[in-house]
Amino acid sequence: MELIGEQKINASREVVFAALNDTEVLRQCIPGCEAIEKTSDTEMTATVVLRIGPVKAKFEGAIELSNLNPPESYTISGEGKGGIAGNASGGADVTLVADGEDTILQYNVSVKIMGKFAQLGSRLIDSTAKKLSAQFFKKFAAIVETQGGS
Amino acid sequence: MNDQTPITREQRIEKLQGQGCSRKRVEDVRFTQGKGNYVDDIKLPGMLFGDFVRSPYGHANVKSINTEAALKVPGVLAVITAEDLKPLNLHYMPTLAGDVQAVLADEKVLFQGQEVAFVVATDRYAAADGVEAVEVDYEALPVINDPHKSMDDDAPTLREDIAGKMEGAHGARKHNNHIFFWEEGDKEGTDKALADAEVVVEEQITYQRVHPCPLETCGCVASMDKITGKLTVWGTFQAPHAVRTVASLITNIAEHNIRIISPDIGGGFGNKVGVYPGYICSIVASIVTGAPVKWVEDRIENLTATAFARDYHMTGKLAATKEGIITGLSAYVLADHGAFDACADPTKFPAGFFSIVTGAYDIPVAHVGVDGVYTNKAPGGVAYRCSFRVTEAAYLIERMIDILARKLDMDPAEIRMKNFIKKEQFPYDSALGWEYDSGDYHTAMEKALDTIDYKALRAEQAENRAAFDRGETRTLMGIGVAFFTEIVGAGPVKNCDILGLGMFDSCEIRIHPTGSATARLGTISQGQGHATTFPQIIASEIGIPAEDITLEEGDTDTAPYGLGTYGSRSTPVAGAATAMAARKIKAKAQMIAAYLLEVHDSDLEWDVDRFQVKGNPELHKTMKEIAFAAYTQAIPGLEPGLEAVSYYDPPNMTYPFGAYIGVVDIDVDTGEVDVRRFYALDDCGTRINPMIIEGQVHGGLTEALAIVMGQDISYDEIGNMSGSSLMDFFLPTAVETPNWETGFTETPSPHHPIGAKGVGESPNVGGVPALSNAVHDAFAHKGLTHTQMPHDHWRVWKTAQSLGLTE
Repeated sequence: MELIGEQKINASREVVFAALNDTEVLRQCIPGCEAIEKTSDTEMTATVVLRIGPVKAKFEGAIELSNLNPPESYTISGEGKGGIAGNASGGADVTLVADGEDTILQYNVSVKIMGKFAQLGSRLIDSTAKKLSAQFFKKFAAIVETQGGS
Repeated sequence: MNDQTPITREQRIEKLQGQGCSRKRVEDVRFTQGKGNYVDDIKLPGMLFGDFVRSPYGHANVKSINTEAALKVPGVLAVITAEDLKPLNLHYMPTLAGDVQAVLADEKVLFQGQEVAFVVATDRYAAADGVEAVEVDYEALPVINDPHKSMDDDAPTLREDIAGKMEGAHGARKHNNHIFFWEEGDKEGTDKALADAEVVVEEQITYQRVHPCPLETCGCVASMDKITGKLTVWGTFQAPHAVRTVASLITNIAEHNIRIISPDIGGGFGNKVGVYPGYICSIVASIVTGAPVKWVEDRIENLTATAFARDYHMTGKLAATKEGIITGLSAYVLADHGAFDACADPTKFPAGFFSIVTGAYDIPVAHVGVDGVYTNKAPGGVAYRCSFRVTEAAYLIERMIDILARKLDMDPAEIRMKNFIKKEQFPYDSALGWEYDSGDYHTAMEKALDTIDYKALRAEQAENRAAFDRGETRTLMGIGVAFFTEIVGAGPVKNCDILGLGMFDSCEIRIHPTGSATARLGTISQGQGHATTFPQIIASEIGIPAEDITLEEGDTDTAPYGLGTYGSRSTPVAGAATAMAARKIKAKAQMIAAYLLEVHDSDLEWDVDRFQVKGNPELHKTMKEIAFAAYTQAIPGLEPGLEAVSYYDPPNMTYPFGAYIGVVDIDVDTGEVDVRRFYALDDCGTRINPMIIEGQVHGGLTEALAIVMGQDISYDEIGNMSGSSLMDFFLPTAVETPNWETGFTETPSPHHPIGAKGVGESPNVGGVPALSNAVHDAFAHKGLTHTQMPHDHWRVWKTAQSLGLTE
């Protein structure tokens, strides 16, 4: 499944890019994120609770940052295991475009979901993914805008 | 004995409730009161529960399985993996199709939902918690879900366990993902017929992957008694004796020390013929723990991992004259068998009886070829309410005939009548090697056309089409005609066996001193009503009222050996055994009666429930009197007692047939298909219980509706199976089910002792093409040739849209 979208953020590209690499910001923005821990400059581990339709699972996964091209773009990808509920892997290519004082964050997300999640929630996955992505970037914009002002 | 004999002969006949009587189902007394006894109702002291860890991946290496955390879950006693089964040589089990199937994943998983580990716990909840705690490390591999890509040069090898082994159970394999190639008929002659034909039609016709989805899922309770050394397994088995033999062969437990019991079964439809990993794991767990172990799959597991049906990708070619006389048929099939070949077909028929594909038509030359391939899908390929691959064959020929009719601008009913095998041609040798025992197709078709007033329907349709074109209606009317010939009652031992076991069947009848009886059969009812109908056969044969006869099935310690119930074989095979066993009893009864009446055997004649002296019916002995004498008198030259057993090896299959016509109204803007009328005429030979036949037809038609209008087990490109719950998998309720109209003709089978042919599966075989043809017929005048099932609202709307009909 693929998702393409953009979010306008009232902050400079540098501020936005730094936030995209900030585990604390990511923890607050990733829906259902219970913990996130940096294991290297570009690697993290995370625990995320996800619910699609009737299935709820705790995913333990690894997140990796790649194609780092500050302050213009990077790729964030991850893979999580949700036990019998299934597995999820995916990533997002994020590009930052300056728009005056603002930054337009463009994202191209692709997700692969396996197991019970996919079996039971097939008709819900697209809408859930859209909702979660929107939640993430909205929250992200809000945090960055608040921090940018401080 | 002072018999309370009814006065008239008619009353005596009525009292028997024999053949032809719509006797009420005796099973329903317990079912309607919630007193059925299904596998999950069996509760034994100290019973443990098993549950599977299943693969979320369609294709992956299993790098490691960590059971540590699971074993710490309170109540979890053991976690069994392939590594534990290997020393016992039980990590693979034989399938009914000559392949092997992993009981627990051996280093890799090949389909989503495949069994990876078996958790044994003190209760079901603990088992589920244990399953969740097992950590499996997978390494995803590329998935093949399109059978057309299975044999590509660069296709990954799915079955590492047989990689490079190019000789399979059914001959040479041409690729690591190839299972078999099977063919029948005259290829050269068929090619010539196609080359010389005035008209040729060709079409790719797919019968999608569906699932039998019985209301009761599969399950078992295995109990190893370590004191007696006897293993008892209660399970949802359609073939209990075959399960016993297979269990003995793979566990090395002597067959007399294994007792298989099929209790009440809540629907089988082919899903419960095979052997599943759950059975093996439960048996192993019971042997290891010394306690009984229950395993019952849930709905998602049933739809995901136990046997699917169809997934046949067919190419049909018909050669014909301009007048619509068919001169040849070619059929090629790419058969997607999933990860293991676990079809339930007679051994010599890897594509089942697909060669019945010439149907009811006198086709002079034909050829079929079938390639079976592996994919990353669940194993199976069972006969879901049909004899082996018969519904696939009927769907192909019945769609092809409609396509030919359309091409020639002929009426679909007329072209069928033109090509039918004629009554006087029976017994008829088909181009693909079957000997059709009997039939009268023209009479059946004419009766169906008259009953539904076909001419009036076509006139109404012409008006509807004109009104649609004038913009006065958004509904299109479709009329679907189908005529099928089944091939059921497998089968003659000379060519039908499963794992070498001949497909005969059996019946043992014991007449008790007071004139009631117990009959035991090698079959097992899953809802067919055997306890009602088989006593009717006996009642008519030997004059003991059906209500005085108890039928027992499904316990291998007591029932005579038989191959079970599927493929509409119970009445053709076990029903014949029942009649033959009854006739053995009748023969002895005649000798007893002759002794009692002090006449010669040949001076007696049979009348309803008694032997009477020819020309002097006042002198008679009823079967009840004879039975009493058999146990109370010393009769010179005769052994005491009155019982018999018959093992019946049928000389031929039986060939039930039917004419089905459906009428649909399709809303082109929503794609909704409303089945306005459906008439099913079945000829199943001699009718034993018309009410039960009608019930069977209703059920089979409803399953046909389900398949045509919505059932679809599909996989995405990364191996996820969709349609694994009743949220997605279409199971019609009373809301979606139309009113079914039924009718019959009666052409008895000449080789069956009572002329019966079997009916359980006919409605599915005929219902699918009739309903699909109706949907196609609605759009035929707009240029639609063929579109794949299921004809759900979305697809039908897409069809309307592609034809430019939507707004």
